[in-house]
Amino acid sequence: MNIIVIGFGFIGRGVIEAFLRKAERIRRLDEDFRVVGVSDSRGYVYDSEGLDLKRLIGVDELSQYPSGYCRGGSAEDLIEMEGVDLMVEATPTNVVDGEPGLTFMRRALRRGIHVVTSNKGPLVVAFHELKSLAEEGGCQLLFEGTVAGAIPIFSLVRESLQGDEILRISGILNGTTNYILSRMHFEGTSFEIALKEAQERGITERDPSYDVDGIDAACKVVILANALMNRDVRFEDVERTGIRRVTQEAVSLAKRSNFAIKLVGTIDRRIEVAPKLVPINHPLCVHGTLNAVHIEADLAGEITLVGYGAGRETVSAVLNDVLTVLKSEAKKKG
Amino acid sequence: MKFDLTIALADRPGQLIRALEPIAKNGGNIVSIIHEREEPSAGLVPVSLVVDFPSALNLRRTVDELRRMGIGIIRAEEIIDTSRLTVILIGKMDLKRLANAGVENIRIVGFEVSNPASDDACLRVELEVPTASVEEALDAFKRIAEEEGALLLSPI
Ligand SMILES: NC(=O)c1ccc[n+]([C@@H]2O[C@H](COP(=O)([O-])OP(=O)(O)OC[C@H]3O[C@@H](n4cnc5c(N)ncnc54)[C@H](OP(=O)(O)O)[C@@H]3O)[C@@H](O)[C@H]2O)c1
Repeated sequence: MNIIVIGFGFIGRGVIEAFLRKAERIRRLDEDFRVVGVSDSRGYVYDSEGLDLKRLIGVDELSQYPSGYCRGGSAEDLIEMEGVDLMVEATPTNVVDGEPGLTFMRRALRRGIHVVTSNKGPLVVAFHELKSLAEEGGCQLLFEGTVAGAIPIFSLVRESLQGDEILRISGILNGTTNYILSRMHFEGTSFEIALKEAQERGITERDPSYDVDGIDAACKVVILANALMNRDVRFEDVERTGIRRVTQEAVSLAKRSNFAIKLVGTIDRRIEVAPKLVPINHPLCVHGTLNAVHIEADLAGEITLVGYGAGRETVSAVLNDVLTVLKSEAKKKG
Repeated sequence: MKFDLTIALADRPGQLIRALEPIAKNGGNIVSIIHEREEPSAGLVPVSLVVDFPSALNLRRTVDELRRMGIGIIRAEEIIDTSRLTVILIGKMDLKRLANAGVENIRIVGFEVSNPASDDACLRVELEVPTASVEEALDAFKRIAEEEGALLLSPI
């Protein structure tokens, strides 16, 4: 299979590194696995015979790759190249209009190219449209990395709860706010100081409101509701309250009655993101930058998954999606 | 629906069996029986039954039949399942408004306040709420908090 990677940042690079590290496992599924193109906002490198991944990982800028660099070339050109089978899309998240990722995904899916992404934006803006494009194009659209990082929530439901109906989902879906609230809970820190600490540790978005006002968590709620509960939910449908008003006093009062205050996303009768009281012995009550997703299924009952919601662990989710496509293509070929 | 059905039986053998018949006939499922034989008064023994009936109508029919059989009815009322609910409110808030949220049978069983005078006053309230009305109560609290400019933290 011929792969293109759009976005050569933290995730794009990490995925290429993972391709290299797991080369043997990949070859077992597909002897002809090749990364033929990689792009960022300034240009792309392309080689129809497959790029040298070791070299690629070594460069600071795509333009330093020894051959095939096209300055000013766009990801759309790569998508149009002959013989591309799968696109890994890892450009920045934009929840207003989903761009640039949305255009890339539409194009790819229309051409029958499988899409694996960690970018929430396009899915928040146009989930059902992209899903039907994938269906029409006879290709897969996989997005495990978009919600709760390395936690395999979509794979779990797709593979292991095939007969179940998901009745309710709740989750701690933003590691930054969970870090802040955990500092307040355990160290008695104020919100402002805990936020500053998170910023110093580099775990906040440039615009902290994305985390602390629950925007990021709300995006994840939208994707979960659409993907796992077959709802038709848009960002505006999520009732959203962030954690700015959560005071140290509130955290202490909660703690004294054996609750922790957590920013929880819920898909139920109401669809909301809000600070909630989580009993300290509840499986959702995880601390630090951990995420947790709690689902209630009609047959399986309650299941909770806990893991890292962002950072390098996310690469695991993207790689697994790529392997899932390779596997099903290998099966098709017999 | 569960009901407390307390009747007065004559302290003679066979009375209880007799009284159970109309309950069964009207679709009642007996959950428990407390027979207080130590406390007869005027030859009557109070017997407290917890009965699960499909509806209040079944209870009424049972009560009518028991009366016709000459059995005294001490109490016949629904047992309301209650749940303990903890909420925290951030911002100034009038406690009374929660108790009068328009949901029946809510009881405040405890509370703790910090910084009552400031704008980030913080209030933890423990309530007993009929289990069937928990969602309704939380909706009402949320509405009231919004009206008062406070933030409601409810349990998951
Ligand atoms: N980092 C995480 O832990 C994490 C976890 C889960 C999900 N995600 C999501 O994964 C995606 C990628 O995250 P990241 O951390 O890798 O971001 P990043 O480090 O900022 O990288 C983004 C990459 O996209 C490129 N890009 C921007 N516009 C482009 C365009 N029009 N065409 C082609 N490439 C373009 C950027 O190129 P330039 O360098 O030229 O601008 C950069 O290489 C985001 O949507 C993010 O929300 C990230």
